[in-house]
Formats: sequence, structure tokens, C-alpha cells
Amino acid sequence: MKTKDMKNLKDIAGEENVILSEEERYCYSYDSTRLEYIPDVVVRVRNARQISDIFKYASSEKIPVTPRGAATGLSGGCLAMEGGILLLMVEMDKILEVDPVDLLMDVEAGIITVDVDKEANKHGLFYPPDPGSLKYSTIGGNIAENAGGLRGLKYGVTKDYVNALEAVLPNGDIVNFGTRTVKGVTGYNMVDLMTGSEGTLAVITKATLGLLPMPPARASLLALFSTMEDAAKSVQDIVSNGVITSTLEIIDQVTINAIEDYIGLGLDRSIGAMLLIEVDGQQGAVDAEAEVVMKACRSNKAVSCKQAASDQERDEIWTARRAALSSLARVRPSTILEDATVPRSRFVEMVEAVNDIAKKYDLTIGTFGHAGDGNLHPTILTDMRDAREEKKVESAIEEIFKVAVDLGGTLSGEHGIGISKAKYLKMEIDPASYELMKRVKKAFDPDNILNPGKMFLD
Amino acid sequence: MIEKNKKTGTKGKDAARIFKRYDDLFNCSRCGSCTAYCPVYKNTKDEAVSPRGKLSLIEAISQGKMEFTDKLSEKIYTCTLCNYCDSECPSGVKITELFEEMRQDLIDSEKYPGALDFLKRRLGEAYNVTFDTNEGRADWTKQIPDSSPEDFIKDTAEVVYFVGCVSSFSPRTFSIPRSVVQIFKGAGVDFTLLGDDEWCCGFPLLSSGMKGEAKKLADHNIEAVNKKGAKVLITSCPSCYHTWKHEYSKISSKKADFKIMHLSQYLFKLIEDKKLKPGPLNIRVSYHDPCDLGRNSEVYDEPRKVIESIPGVEFIELEASKNLANCCGGGGNLESLDAGLSGRIAESRAREIIAADIDVLVSACQQCERTLAAALKKIKKEAKRKIKVADIAELVFASINAE
Repeated sequence: MKTKDMKNLKDIAGEENVILSEEERYCYSYDSTRLEYIPDVVVRVRNARQISDIFKYASSEKIPVTPRGAATGLSGGCLAMEGGILLLMVEMDKILEVDPVDLLMDVEAGIITVDVDKEANKHGLFYPPDPGSLKYSTIGGNIAENAGGLRGLKYGVTKDYVNALEAVLPNGDIVNFGTRTVKGVTGYNMVDLMTGSEGTLAVITKATLGLLPMPPARASLLALFSTMEDAAKSVQDIVSNGVITSTLEIIDQVTINAIEDYIGLGLDRSIGAMLLIEVDGQQGAVDAEAEVVMKACRSNKAVSCKQAASDQERDEIWTARRAALSSLARVRPSTILEDATVPRSRFVEMVEAVNDIAKKYDLTIGTFGHAGDGNLHPTILTDMRDAREEKKVESAIEEIFKVAVDLGGTLSGEHGIGISKAKYLKMEIDPASYELMKRVKKAFDPDNILNPGKMFLD
Repeated sequence: MIEKNKKTGTKGKDAARIFKRYDDLFNCSRCGSCTAYCPVYKNTKDEAVSPRGKLSLIEAISQGKMEFTDKLSEKIYTCTLCNYCDSECPSGVKITELFEEMRQDLIDSEKYPGALDFLKRRLGEAYNVTFDTNEGRADWTKQIPDSSPEDFIKDTAEVVYFVGCVSSFSPRTFSIPRSVVQIFKGAGVDFTLLGDDEWCCGFPLLSSGMKGEAKKLADHNIEAVNKKGAKVLITSCPSCYHTWKHEYSKISSKKADFKIMHLSQYLFKLIEDKKLKPGPLNIRVSYHDPCDLGRNSEVYDEPRKVIESIPGVEFIELEASKNLANCCGGGGNLESLDAGLSGRIAESRAREIIAADIDVLVSACQQCERTLAAALKKIKKEAKRKIKVADIAELVFASINAE
């Protein structure tokens, strides 16, 4: 990039918002994949108009532009693969409007997700999608990756709560899609197209999010099983008996042992699988559902099944779940968190296949995740600085993907394709559909200046 | 190895410490959860000053990808040392340790902020962090009713009260040590000050990365207290407390023949032993955990028990409290490097305090008090009622003098 480019950016965004030092640009080169691509310049932007002006300029000069939120993504979505301009969205973090009657909240894309929920809580409402990163990731990032979370089975994922969007196109156009109504069919469903588009079609600047009333009651349960199979059967029985739990998490033996090594919660290390379950809603329904859950677990040989009797006991259950990833992370220097997802009915086969793959490549893999919706997190514990390990991990991941697809599942439940999974995309997407997706990208971004290098390798 | 030294410009034959820490640095997965806790990041949205950003720069240096530069140094030093990041890191990265090593390396390579030179000089010459000579260290004892300064300095005593530089020299905070000595007098505590013999505890040197220079101060202070024959050392400053309790054994070979307590712990003991009788104060009160007392020393209960022993007090726990308390912005030498940022961090915390809708915010640290009082004053229009800030000593003093 040239001096005149930097001058233009300074005119648009203000000199103090154009970051050129090597040290600072380096800090904007990574996300949670630990891949690094240093942008030529980082620009702190504050509104759609500035972004539009930047794109108009970048389009004419064919300079790549990549948007970045909190950079906590797990697929490389916000990395400036071809350098150029990095748009820093974190200053655009305002709450614009809360409408408790229509259950809507308008926000700027850079707001941290937990702040959306906190604001909703003030009105007796909540924002259901709860990705693991919600305390530090941005709504814009969540929307771009269609982030999931623990409440997926009952409450859905991010796309189910995005009613409308404002975005900037690579040619600088500012566009608006979606409605403030519960239903609407006007023009193509561009909101759903952009949700999960990983920042490759447009830069999201505002969102109208849907909220729900906070359920008045909830119950948490912890069930221990000798085998993964017993746990899986309990999961199926819970659902077939008519209960859709708000959370239905599973933790395998490898992970339980890691938790015991790190925190020592007093869990039995010989336990094959642990289910952490939450039901919510009206008190009567919660009581009835909790009973169904207990019954399903007990009739599937649960070694124990307990309901939390107090907030403190509830917190203990969820401490165990939250400890899963951090416990695994302490075992080896590198922690590779995958999210191959299968239909709920196939998740035992998935876990067994992962265990076989672990043995085959002599790798330690702990699996935990959202048993309710089949979105599991096989987590490979390794040291990616070791070339041999790196190779084994790559091969293992490829096999995990193959199994998931063969079981009728998908490469990624939550994390997206980005850089990390681009080379595997054709495992799942047939050629005609793949080519159509590329034509869509071209329609939005004919010069391929927006976030190049992602999703499609060709 | 020598090649790397040349590039980074480190002085001396030893490789910079940080080159040996790649394994620990590599443990950072760049997950970003520290950005939810770091007060400096939250009030700047500058990734380069987030713990993750700092670690990425330090790792880049350790891999020879980057040099020790002024800009890098500025980012590394933009930190209150609240240690929230270290305490919550899901991957268990030894963040505090790595930051300390990096600061030492920056000192060795003379790439540290110029403001720290003043610190080094003053502490080497005058043994305190101000423009004053140390001879005036006990001047705050003047104008205490019914007493004269000599009353407070004895040759030997059971208890030594270590005041700390800020409370000794900063008139705005004099009421803290004045409350302490009057409380002790009223409770019949056999105590003494060190007077001019009290030297800075060394915390500003340790936190800047000047470990070597701090040894002289530690050696002297331990000797000075030993000479008094004291059984207990009490300090009202959490940073002094943390330094005495957790750092001195690492930097001094001198043996401390006494227990080390923070004032809040001793006040609780006096109340339990019925040496103090708290009178009624009908106020709504919250407590701000100072980082060096709470998160970094795990003293959470005693200050709360002291407050709750006062009849009439309604205690409201702040939403972010104990190990999850948010920093006041006053620590880590940040104020001398970037007063504006320090103030903004205090304002953020002040907003959390306002949300509790209280009469008095109590803390146990003169720094916290100062920065929070200033911030609450600045944003007073946002508050439903006027909030006073008091140190735990001031609160207890008011209580024992209440009807």
C-alpha cells in the first residue's frame, strides 16, 4: 500500500484512528487459531459511512479489506490473509434501542454479546444464543459465523435471532435487510444469507436482534454413566419422551480426568460419561421435565442422577462444564478444538469413531459438547510446534471430518470454514452447490477485495 | 542466540530472560477471554495493551520476530498489574510472571518509559517515591489531637505500623494513618512507627522490573522492624502488604521475626478481642476489593467482617467483587505513565459503584480511595445520591466515636 492510500484513510477515519506501527499491526494479525497475517494498516471505524468510504476507495485501488471484531474466532475469519486494510469494528459497540414490547434490540455490530444479554435482562428478557466466547466476542462476529452455544437444541442459534441487518458491500453501498416483524417475506432472505457468511459478502454494521422473555424457573441436573452409550440412550429417551432441554451437555472420560487433574472436583475417574442438563420454563413444566430427565437417565443405568437443590449446587455443575476446555487446555501446549457435528441420533458412533482415530494416530483427544444437538467438540491435545505431531493432527482431523459427513453430519457446527476448513469444504458440498456459492460471492464482491482467501480455495 | 541479542539490543552477555520462556508463552491460545477482564483493554479497546496482545509481542521478541522498541515498551508498561488476567486465564498462562520478566528485560535493555528514571533515582537517594526528603516521613503525626509526634515512635514495641509512602506524604490521605494511630491508641495497642527509618517497601521498583534495586530497601526495612523487637508488622497499604508478605522472602535474605498483617485483618482481630467497640453508623455501604489485597493476596473476608461488625451498617456487595473485582486504575505505575487512562479506568469502576446506590464506598487502599473519590466526583451527575469514599480505618474511627 502507498502513502497516498494511508492519507486517504486518515482523511476518512481521522489520523489517530489509522494504525501503522509494526508493533500494533502485529497485535491485529491473529485470532484464536494462532495463525498470523499482518495487515498493512488497521483502521478504527465508527460508523457505516466511514466503512463505505473506505470500500469505495479500496474498490478503485483493488486493496483488500478485512473486518475484525474481537478476533476470537476459531477458523481464521478475521485474518488479513492478503494484507491490506483491517477494519477494526470494536468501537461500534452501542446499544441503539430496546423494544421490550416487540422483543427486539438494535445494536451496533461491535457490541460484546454478553452486553446484549445484560441489557435484555434489565427488561426481564434474554438473548438466547450463548457461544462459549460470549463474554468477549462481538455480535458482528457471532452473526458472521452463525455462532452456536449450549442452548442450541431448545433455543436455536444466532441466525434464529437476527431479524434485520445493516451492512456495507464491497462497492461501498450501505444496505438494509430484514424486518421488525415476527414474519416477513419481502425480497430474498438476505439476512439468513449474510448470517454465517463469515465476513466474505459484506461487513455487518448494525443488527436488530430478537429477544425472549426470561424463563421464570430452571432446574439443573448432573448424571453419571459407566459408558458413553448409556448416556447417549438417555439423551435419546429424554427427547423421545417429549422434553427439549435448554442445555444437554456431555463430557467424556478423557475430559473428566483432565478436570480432575486440574481442579479436582471429586469426580469418579472411571466414569465413562457425564451429562449436564438444564430445563427451563414455567415452574410446573420445569418440575415435570426434570422428572422425565431423571427417569430417562435412571432407566439407562445412570450411576447417579442428581438435581441441584440450590443455586450453589447449580453453579458447581456448571463450573464442571466450564472447566472442561480449560482443563484440557492445560494438558499439552496446543489445544485444537474441532466442532464436527452429527445428527443427535448418531453421536455415539461419532464419539466411538473419534476414539478409534485417537488410538490410530496415538493422540489424546477429549470429547465434550452439546449432546442435545449433536454438536460435539473433539479436542486434540498436542504440540503443534512438533512437525510430526502437526502431521498426525492434520490426518486425524481429516478423518474426523470424513466420519462426520458419512454419518450425515457437517464439518462445522459453530466455528465456520474460514481458512482452517477451506480445503475440506468439498467433502460436504457437492460441486454444483459449491460453484453456486462462488457465484454468490462474485455477485457481492466481483473484485474479491473483501476478506479474500477464505472459504473457497479456488 | 548472540544473533538475537544483537537484534534486540539487550545489554550484557546474558540473553534476555524472555528468550527462555517460549514454552510458557506458547501456552497462550489467543482465546481472547482476557479481553473481558483487562481494565486497560476495556477502556482503550487497544489490542496491543490487552494481555493477549502483550503476550503476542513478548512471544514475537522471544522468537526474534520483533525488537525491543519504545512503542513496544510503552504497550507492555500500560498495565495496572491488577492480575485479573492471570487469575482467570483458561489456559493457565503464567501471565504475571511473564510480564515481570519482560519488564526486567526492558529495564536491562534501557527501553523503559522515562518516567521510571525518576522513581529509580528518588528511591535510591531518598527512599521514597515523592519529591520530599525522607526526614519528613512522619510529619503527618503532627496535628493529631491530644498527642505529639514523639508519642508514636518508641524504641521497642509489640506492633510496628508501616505507613507506606503515599499515606506518609500525600496530605489527602493523611486521615488514614491518623485514624489508625488513634484507633490503636484507644485500643491500648503497644505500637510504634518507624519514622524516618521507614523506607519505601520497594513495590514501585519491583513492579517496574527493577528487582535488584529493591533489595536494599527490603534489607533495611526488615532490619528496622527486627530492631524494634516487634511481633507483628501492620500496614494499611495493600501493595506494601503484598510486597512484605509475598515478595520480601524472594528478594531479601534477612529473616523477618514477625507476622505480617494488613490493617483490615488487625482491626478484625481487635474487634474480635473486644478491644474495639464499634458504635452505630446508619449508612448503606459497599466495599471495593483492592487488587493487591483481594485478588493478589486473597484477603476478602476480614474487611467485610469489620464493616459488618458496625451496628446500623447495611452492606451491599458490589456486582463485581472479591476475586472478580474491577481495578480502580491506580496501580502498576500506570498513573505516572498515562493519567488519563488511569482516570478512565476509575470512572468505569465508579459507574459500577453508583449502580449499588450507596452512601459510602469503603476500601482498604489509599490508592483506590483517591482514584475512586476523584472519579465519583467527576461523574456525580450520574448518581442518585452523593457517595463518600472512606478507608476502612476512617470508617472504624468514625464508628468508635459514634454515639
